Formats: sequence, C-alpha cells, structure tokens
Amino acid sequence: MKKYFKLVVLMLILVSFILAISPAQQQITLRIIWWGSQDRHNRTLKVIDLFQKKYPNIKIVSEYTGWSEYYTKLTTMAAGGNLPDIMQQDHAYIRGWVEKGLLLPLDDLVAQGVINLKDVSKSIVDSGRLGGKLYAINLGNNSQAFAIDPELFRKAGVPLPPTLWTWDDFKRIARIIHRKLGIYGAAENLGDHNVFRVWTIENGGYLFSEDGKSLGYEDDNVYASFYKMLLELQDEGVIPSRDVEVARGSVSPEQRFLCLGKAAMQFTWSNQLTAMSTALKGKPLKLYMLPTLNGKVGNFLKPSMFFAINAKTKYPKEAAMFINFFINDIEAAKILMAERGVPVSKRVQLALKPLLTPVEKEMFNFIATVEKYGAPTPPPDPERWQEIYNNVYTPLYDQIMYKKITPEEAAKKFREQVTQILRK
Amino acid sequence: MVYPALWMLSSSFKQPWEIFGDILNLIPKEPTLNNYKEGWQGFGGITFATFFKNSFIIAGLNTIGTVISSTIVAYGLSRIPFPGRRIIFTTVILTLMLPMQVQIVPRYILFSKIGWINTFYPLIVPAFLGGPFFIFMVMQFIRGIPKELDESAFIDGADRIKIFYHIILPNLKPVITTAAIFAFYWTWNDFMGPLVYLNSPEKYPVSVALRAFSDPSAVTNWGAVFAMSTLSLIPVLVIFVLFQKYIVQGVTTTGLRG
Amino acid sequence: MKKLTKKKKHDIWMGYLFTSPWILGFLFFIVFPLVTSLYLSFTRYDILSAPRWIGLQNWVRMFTQDPRFWNATKATFKYVIFEVPLRLLFAFIVALIFSQRESKILNLYRAIYYIPSLIGGSVAIAVVWRQIWGYPDGIVNAILSILGLRGINWLGDTRTAIWTLILLAVWQFGSPMLIFLAALKQVPTELYEAATIDGANFWGRLFKITIPMVTPVILFNLINQMIHAFMAFTQSYIITQGGPLDSTLFYAVYMYRKAFNDFEMGYASALAWFMLALVGIFTVIIFKTSNRWVYYEAEEGV
Repeated sequence: MKKYFKLVVLMLILVSFILAISPAQQQITLRIIWWGSQDRHNRTLKVIDLFQKKYPNIKIVSEYTGWSEYYTKLTTMAAGGNLPDIMQQDHAYIRGWVEKGLLLPLDDLVAQGVINLKDVSKSIVDSGRLGGKLYAINLGNNSQAFAIDPELFRKAGVPLPPTLWTWDDFKRIARIIHRKLGIYGAAENLGDHNVFRVWTIENGGYLFSEDGKSLGYEDDNVYASFYKMLLELQDEGVIPSRDVEVARGSVSPEQRFLCLGKAAMQFTWSNQLTAMSTALKGKPLKLYMLPTLNGKVGNFLKPSMFFAINAKTKYPKEAAMFINFFINDIEAAKILMAERGVPVSKRVQLALKPLLTPVEKEMFNFIATVEKYGAPTPPPDPERWQEIYNNVYTPLYDQIMYKKITPEEAAKKFREQVTQILRK
Repeated sequence: MVYPALWMLSSSFKQPWEIFGDILNLIPKEPTLNNYKEGWQGFGGITFATFFKNSFIIAGLNTIGTVISSTIVAYGLSRIPFPGRRIIFTTVILTLMLPMQVQIVPRYILFSKIGWINTFYPLIVPAFLGGPFFIFMVMQFIRGIPKELDESAFIDGADRIKIFYHIILPNLKPVITTAAIFAFYWTWNDFMGPLVYLNSPEKYPVSVALRAFSDPSAVTNWGAVFAMSTLSLIPVLVIFVLFQKYIVQGVTTTGLRG
Repeated sequence: MKKLTKKKKHDIWMGYLFTSPWILGFLFFIVFPLVTSLYLSFTRYDILSAPRWIGLQNWVRMFTQDPRFWNATKATFKYVIFEVPLRLLFAFIVALIFSQRESKILNLYRAIYYIPSLIGGSVAIAVVWRQIWGYPDGIVNAILSILGLRGINWLGDTRTAIWTLILLAVWQFGSPMLIFLAALKQVPTELYEAATIDGANFWGRLFKITIPMVTPVILFNLINQMIHAFMAFTQSYIITQGGPLDSTLFYAVYMYRKAFNDFEMGYASALAWFMLALVGIFTVIIFKTSNRWVYYEAEEGV
C-alpha cells in the first residue's frame, strides 16, 4: 500500500512540475472602450468575437458609448485609475493623453512585429506620432471633402469641376447654382476650423506651429481673407446665413442641407458619405477635395480615430495583438468595411475592392486621390485646442458672420487670444 | 401641448428619409415598424429588454429607498425639536445647490476606492439615505399638519415613532405619491450617473443606451432613437396614471378640529 | 421638571434616529465631493494629472478676465427671472383648476399636462424642439406664414433663442403642478364649508383660505424652482448648445464645458462654488422673508 501511495505522490509531483514549466495558455482578459452609434457597436462586437475565436485564451470585455459623453466618461475613468487596456482616441484630444503619460509608446511592439504596419503608408502611421514616438494606431482614413449632387449640377447646366479645382471655380459654380436653382450653392458651416485649416495650408502654413505653442501662419490676412470670402457668399445668399446654421445646432449627416435637397455642394468628411447617400435613398454622390489656392492643395488625410493602449496595461502584447488584428485581418475588415473610414492597410483595401458598394468605391477612390495630391498630415493639435475651439475660434466665427466684428479685427483677436491660451 | 410627443411618436414610424425630409406631416407616408425592430435589437446581442430591465431595477429600488428615507428624515427635521436640527437642515439645502457636474469626479473616485464601479450600488445606495429635494418637500407638507394631533397623541402616551407611524404618515399619502412619481421619473431619465459608474453595456439602463445610439459623425438611426424613446416614455406614463389618484384623493381631516 | 427632561432626551434621541440616514449619507457621499470641489477651485486640475495649487487665480480670472463668465451669468439670470414666476403661475392655476373636481376625464387631462415633463430630458426633445422653432420652415413659422406673417429665426436670433428655452421649461410645468395639486387637496374641506357658511365667494375662499394654507408648498416650489432654474442644463446643452453668441449659455453648461471639454476642472469648481454662494444668498433671503407670508399649521418657522 505504502509503495503505491509513494508512486502516486511522485506522479502527481511530476505532473505538476511538467504543467508548471510548460508555457501555460493562461486566460487573459482585456478591456476595450470605443464610441460610435449602433452600427459601429455591432460591427466592432462581431470583430471582437472573431478575434476571441482565433485566440481563445484572450477574452475581451467591451465598453462603448455615444460620442458626446465619451470623453467625460474616459477622463473620469482616468481620474479613478480605471482606464481600459485599449482605448479609441480622437485626433483632437490625444495630445493631452500622451503628454500626461497615459498612453503606451508602441514603437517596440511595431519593431517586434506584433503590430504589422508594413502595408500602411508612412504618413498615415506618423499621424499617431508625437515627439518622435508612436502612441496610437490610425484606424481609418478620412479627409475633408465637398460632397456634390451631380443631379443638381445637371439641372443647373453646370459641368462637374476637375479634381484640382480652385476657390474661384467654387465661388463661380456656387453662384450659378444658387441663381439657377434657388437653393444654396454650398453648405454648411463653411467657416468651420476644418475648412480653415485647409486654407492655412494652401497659404503656406498650418493652423498651429509644429511645437504647438503658437499659430502656424504669420499673416493675419490669411484669416481675414478667408472670412471675407464667406461673408460675401453669405450676403449673396449662396451659402446659408450663420443664424440659420446656429439655429439648426449640431446636425447629423442625414439632416444636412444636401440631404434635404437644399444645397448642391456639402462640406463634410468623406466617411459620412454612406449616411448622406442613404438619406437620399441611395442617390450617387461624388466626393471632391476642397478647392485649391494658387495651385496648392490643402486637403490632408486625417485619422478618423485611433486605438491606443493604456500605459499601465498588464498585457501590452495582447492588446497590441488585437489592434494588429483589427487593422490587418481581412475577415475583420469585411465586417468593418468603411465604417471607421477607409482602412489604413493597402492590402486590406485591395481585398475589399470587389465587395465595395458604389458609395464605398467613391470613398476609397477619394482617399486614394487625397493620398496622391494631398498635403502631409499636420501633427496632433495642442493640448489646449478644445479650449481654443470652444472659447475663441467658434465665438469669433459666429461674431464675424453675425456682423458683430470685422474679419480684420477678428484676425487680430484670434491671434491674441490663442497665443495667450497657448502660453499658459 | 403634446405636439412634441406626437411628433416623436409619428417619427418613430417613419422611414429614414421621411423623418427630416417631411417634418410637418404627422402621418407617415410609408409607415414602418422597422425602427422598433431595429431599435429593440440594441447592440451586439443586448436588446432593449435588458436595458429596460436595468432601468426598472435601478429606478424601482431608488424610488423605494428615496421615498422611505426622505419621509423619515423629513419627519425628524420638521416635527422633533432637537439641537443641531438647523445645521442638518442647512446641509440638506446646501446639497441641493451643489451642481452634479463638479460632484461627479470626486464621487467616482470615492466609489472606485470602495469597488462599487460597474455595479448598481452607486445609483441605489445613496437613495436609501435620503434625497434633499424630497426631504425638503415632505417637510413642507408635514408642516401643514396641525400639531394638535401630535399633542393629543402624546397625552395618550405615544412616543415619536408611534406618532410618525399612526398620525403623520397616513396624512402624507398625496406627497408620498408625488415623491414616488418624481423619484421614479428622474432616476429613469438620469444618464450622467449610469454613464460614469457603469462600464458593461449589459448594465446600461435605457437612458444611457439611447445615447449610445447617436454619434454625429456617423450614421445615426434616428428612427430607432425615436422608437425607443417613445417606448421609454410608457413605464413612466403608466406609473403616473396608476398613482395619480392617490394624489387627488386628498385627505379627510374629520375629527381633527374637534 | 422631570417630565420635560425625559421628553427632551427622548426628542434628542428620536431626532437623531430619524435623521440618521441623511447624516450617514451626507458624511459618506456628500462631504467628500463638497470639500473636494471647494479645494479644487483653488487648483488647476485637468483630471488626467494631479491638481496643482494656484491660489486665487481661478477666482481672479473669473471676475476680471472671462467675458464668457459674464455672458453665462447674464443669460442664466434672464432665464431665472422669467422662467420661475411663469412656470409657478401656470402650475398653480392649472393645479387649482384640477383640484376643483374629480372625474375620469380630468385624470386624462392631468396626464396630458404632465407628458411634457416626461419627455423633457430625452435626446429626442432637442430634435423635436428644433423642428418646431426651425427657420425657415419650422412649425411655428409655417403657422405664421399661413397667417401671412414673416417667419422669424427663433433659434438663430440672439434676442429670441432664450425665449424658446424659457417656453420649453414653462411648458413642462407638470412637476410643480403636481406638487401644488397635492397641497391643494390637503386643505381641509371643513375650512371651505365654514367659509361658505360665512358667505365667502370663490375669490374670498381662494385668497383667505386656499392660498394661505398652501404657502409652505409655495415656498418649497419657489426655492426649488429657483435653484433648479439656476442650475438648468439639459435644454441648453442639447438644443441650443449655448448659442447663438452665448445668448443661451446657461451657467451649468459653461461650467460643464470647462470641466469636461476644456479639461479645466479647477476653474469649473470655482464656477460651481460661485453659483452655490449666489443661490445660497437668494435662498436665505427668501427663507428670511418667508416668515412674513408663509403660514404653517404647525406654527413654527425654519
């Protein structure tokens, strides 16, 4: 009896030993958070399922919200030290997170091949780079665009403009359409900072300087001339008057003037084309880059959003594996399609080509055009950008268009107040 | 009066292009139940059945806790003379005036330290310790009840607890009903708290789920939003209709002014 | 003598027993945010990193360097001054009407008058309200054009935007109405009977009995609605976003934006405490003057 007993104990010890030294497939749990609407939530959850099937030892717990309260929730979590492992981040907000050390630098993981960026062009990768280090992976490309309704152009007898049209072309076309059809030539929120950024690039600068400490253009006439143009168009009724736009509040793609048949050209982001087309019962729309100025193109590829990794994560490698899967896996891409913008991997774009609907084809082609002609993506905004946008940029824009202040005065005030905020 | 509600109801039956394309029409040209079907699906397999369940749990427990505790505290503050009463009342009013926006981060940190994040506890437990609005409201109603009732009960040998239970409470039916309706409705619609304290979407109440539908930069299914918003109105309306008769029953005070 | 002490002891014990839930809740859940937010008002705190003490800088900035602070204060004051009396007036009148009779139809009417309050906070209301006041083809403007009048850009004009929000709030008078109704129903019917016997008519009854008897609740509604109006947030946040040109920038919206959009939680805390002090002063004034016009059956003040 005793002999058998000793044998059993020996076996147990041996087995435990073997189990202990063999690389265990331990169960890992990652938390992820993103913002979006119902459509995005559903697609993303399907991709997560796919990932978990491929890597059964990794479990992913999902958290998601709508956009408007996303950063309230995320920052509150940061305050409590409760950030998830993987976070979706927005280009306009990310600098603060990087500078506070909340995001993990990813260069090592890329070098080790955990995140494969070989099929992503350098400028797209670099949009997530700050101070030389890579902090976030771009999930999809987007760019500023005018969505135009070819049917309305036809009705007004206006031929479609060339790819590299100019602001003069733009004004001329808008005026003709307004005159002939009685609708807005172009809409809406054309004084939005995204249009202005393009303008500053076309005038040889950027909105902000490289180091984020001051404005990126020297001549205040850049600001003044932009708004003078808009005031002209507003006075002629070619674009909506600002008080009409303000009354509408923040509208979703389906509510834009183009989708209501009230404008022929609509300023938008390229990845909103699907929503707008659906609102028009599937009517084909075309995407154009913003007009050029003196031969300079101001359009640039903007990351629609990033995934970043929590600097304090316990599982950097697994988190990186998920991000890698998200941008490179073909099956995942077939689920996501262009919901977060045009996929960043050229290989994925190629694989999706045969599956694209006409609307998606238009988006993909458009991004390819921007890649060909566009300006390099500016670095992420200064940390105080939100404060500037909320308290300086938008109020001045409104005041100019409501004629409470002249563009020249506003240009000076803009520089003063921005510099003051950035110096803090 | 109810036009906005009607508009929302009618939009919930409209096709996507009709909602904003034809706003004046209250009768949908191509009525559809799609919005309800799609909306109900929720996200990733979590349907609105779950969200409604969560809302009921949170609002229900919160209402019970608020009404009971606030009535008890209100009685203490308005009927029992004891030192420190004024200070306590001041803290009640003070809390009423502190905006939620600056409370939320410290509260989150607090709850995080005791491990209550991603549970319903932060949304329910504080309710059982009194709500300032309700305490104040019930106090004012108690003050309308003649003190002679208390006096005569004392003479009969009752103590404060008995007085509370047998004299004051029966006379508070209208205000307690009102308090219950409000507590339920406010908790039902509250989204700030659940947004910040709850992480898992399976725990979301309807208020948060509705907001997760909309992202201004992407496709928002407005029909579904309106459909689910309309559904969300129903429980609150039902509670109101069921309970309102207690408010108007009034109070018979025969024998009080003997 | 002995009886008094015993009763007094009983009262002290009972007093604290009954208020213990609140005391507990206050100590556990309120004190920390209360004290923290006051402390934060003297710091620069962007939530993502630790707070940094900056003394009175936030306070100085608020009063001398921030025009939007004054915009927000002005807009909020305007809102409070008009919304509170209007809302209370409608609530009281309608409650009075409802209190006169009982019937199934009235039940339905009551529900209808309460429905506005129910949908008030939803995401949908923003869209709906904009459709009503939209320009040029919102519903109000459509009616105006049928009457041959020119449409107005209600939400885009700095003079009218805030009135749409005031109207929205007044439209939702269901909550204070219910409270008034409960109070009106609590007035002993014997008082009315006695007054009628003495020859009083409707107005006499109204002003000599009804109103005095419900003054405690009028006080409650007044204070509550005032605090509520000063802290109004949702309508501005989701419908007008504070525009146009800050004409509807509610104080609470400005504060929220400072906290969560600009990541200036320290400054937002200072804003919060300023509002708290302001509202506190008004509340105290109302309470102090209430002794003159509020009648308590139980005959004691605060």
